[in-house]
Amino acid sequence: MSSLIKCFRISVALAGALASTHATAQDTIRIGAPLELSGRFVAYGAQGKRGVEMAVDVYGGKIGNRKIEVLFRDVQSNNQAAVTAFTELTQQEKVDFVIGPIASGIVAASVPAWRQSKPLWIVGGSSSTQLEDAMKGEQLFFHTYPWAYQYHESTAKMLSEAMGKSKKVAIIYSDGAYGREQLPWAKEFYTKNGFSIVATELVREGAADLNPVLQKIRLTRPDVLVGIVQTTDGIQLAKQVHVAKLNIPVLVGTAYPQLQEWSQATGEAADGWIGATTYLPGMKRAGDPKLSKLFPSLTDWEADFKKRYNREPEFLDVTNYTSMMLLLVAIERAGSTDKEKVAKQLTTLNIQTMLGTSNFVSTPGGALHQAFNDMVVFQRVGDKFVVLYPADAADGKLKLKQ
Amino acid sequence: MSFFWQCLIDSLLLGGLYSLMSIGLSLGFGVTRIINFAHGEMIMFGAYGAYFASILLGVDPLLSLPLVAIVVAVTAAVLFKALIEKVLNAPHINQILLLFGISLALQNVAAILWTGDARSVATPYSLTAFEFETLLVPHGRVIAFVVAIILIIALFCWLRLSELGRATRAVAENGQAATLMGINVSRMYMLSFGINAALGAATGAISSFLLTITPFMGFHMLAKAFAIVVLGGLGSVPGTIIGAFALAFAETWVSYYVPEGNGWAEGVAFIVLLFVLTIRPKGILGQAEAVH
Repeated sequence: MSSLIKCFRISVALAGALASTHATAQDTIRIGAPLELSGRFVAYGAQGKRGVEMAVDVYGGKIGNRKIEVLFRDVQSNNQAAVTAFTELTQQEKVDFVIGPIASGIVAASVPAWRQSKPLWIVGGSSSTQLEDAMKGEQLFFHTYPWAYQYHESTAKMLSEAMGKSKKVAIIYSDGAYGREQLPWAKEFYTKNGFSIVATELVREGAADLNPVLQKIRLTRPDVLVGIVQTTDGIQLAKQVHVAKLNIPVLVGTAYPQLQEWSQATGEAADGWIGATTYLPGMKRAGDPKLSKLFPSLTDWEADFKKRYNREPEFLDVTNYTSMMLLLVAIERAGSTDKEKVAKQLTTLNIQTMLGTSNFVSTPGGALHQAFNDMVVFQRVGDKFVVLYPADAADGKLKLKQ
Repeated sequence: MSFFWQCLIDSLLLGGLYSLMSIGLSLGFGVTRIINFAHGEMIMFGAYGAYFASILLGVDPLLSLPLVAIVVAVTAAVLFKALIEKVLNAPHINQILLLFGISLALQNVAAILWTGDARSVATPYSLTAFEFETLLVPHGRVIAFVVAIILIIALFCWLRLSELGRATRAVAENGQAATLMGINVSRMYMLSFGINAALGAATGAISSFLLTITPFMGFHMLAKAFAIVVLGGLGSVPGTIIGAFALAFAETWVSYYVPEGNGWAEGVAFIVLLFVLTIRPKGILGQAEAVH
């Protein structure tokens, strides 16, 4: 008899627990955030997490009367861990919305896991065109970070306009997926814009000495040096280029010349480097007139960020804040957590954000939803950024290195 | 234009850095017979120590090097006493797992404490060079080479001339005989592990202005240091130096003379390692022939 009563009590308790879980799930909007919170891409993950958390906080933590719950998972900068985290979020936690991860390789590894249940997926990272190809025609995939070719397309065009045709370009690229994937794009766009490629040199990621490569490039007397490497190698590249006094008038990086960590680490060697981005610290961008609390002017947003985190924001802080905020606005406007309805709302958003207008458009590579395609090409002059391109945003002219 | 002289200079300068990077690992193995898989993290902590001394206190990495080396050495000695000493007689797999675990834990502690941001110290001498017609000799790398050579000579003098150094060599030669001679073997183990860490930290301090500092920089350096130690002969300090210069020369020459060679340099260097080990499994100066 007593065991029967025990059984009954356990059943009641279980039913209660299940009911409360159900109620919790009903009362919350759950968003999965698999991010690189440890391992070699932890800097990306930390920025992504800050951006997502700040967006939820600014939004007020609720949509209507439903609490926003972000389920952060550490993908450990590891492909297998990313698959596990993604699968756990979609299969066990049953989330319909996912934001992250960020590093190209980790995002690529997550694609098969995403395909199992296809939640609405916003990626505020990965410039890999392999991802663009893999997600061709996918209605529930949204990308808010530039693709690899956008860097070279805008930079080559600007340099061609500023320097004229028939100039020589040397390219240094790293042996990882990042360098190898971008090399063909760099070659294509510089050639299209009238440059001749006089050298392409491979460097090992984390190489202790780049001088051999630089000495070989010196012989080709290029007018432009393009360094397609990750930030860690970009630091060493800039320092060694400075030491070697190569007398190359134009030095171009990919995503790193805008980063504070890069400029702080390279010191005076950062001067004159050119980069392309959709966000520059200190840029002037107006906020959205209707949603000024969520999307204030860039200056106000940066001030708020500095107050919260006691540091300057980086590109991925802004990108992931914006991505998360767009998702929250779309959920609210959809009036539902139905991922198809939210996706439809996302595609119709036309908000003035810190990264530009949030129009999701299809790409030449076949991805259906790409936002923020207006690249800004800039040059570091001392501690400042001089915008060189597009012409209507330019506040200075290209300065050749002596 | 021939790259011969430039290549020679670059190889020598790189060899100095590689020697310092791997000599501590070799000494530590020679004495304790444990491969310190957390050696890379000693380098990483040395690099961060020098970086923060420079950023927060304005102290040049070369000046902070002794203090950074001592702090890391003492910390490593404590770590040895608390954890590593317990597995000295355990199966190798236990030792490897423990040290790998420590390595991973230290990497992530650094990432939590200092974020994953890439850093480097931009000292005036790390951004300038001597120029002799077409030859380029970077000041930073020359300074790193000189410091490395001074530390290596100091280590040799200590091993040969001091009582503790001789005791260390005795333990490396034969631990049981050393015990019978009244040497406190346990203490010597801890000391050599501490020196291993100090040399790693010194490498880190030098790397702070030459290379990029991240919480994960150590693994790459450990892999290279391990290859050098194996090439030179496990546990042989002179062999390690020969191995370091051999690897530096192989990498640099491949970088200069093979198309896109910088990307292949390490691969070729490891082929050299394989080749040497095939014809001489104990390395260039294997343990048996080593002069301790």
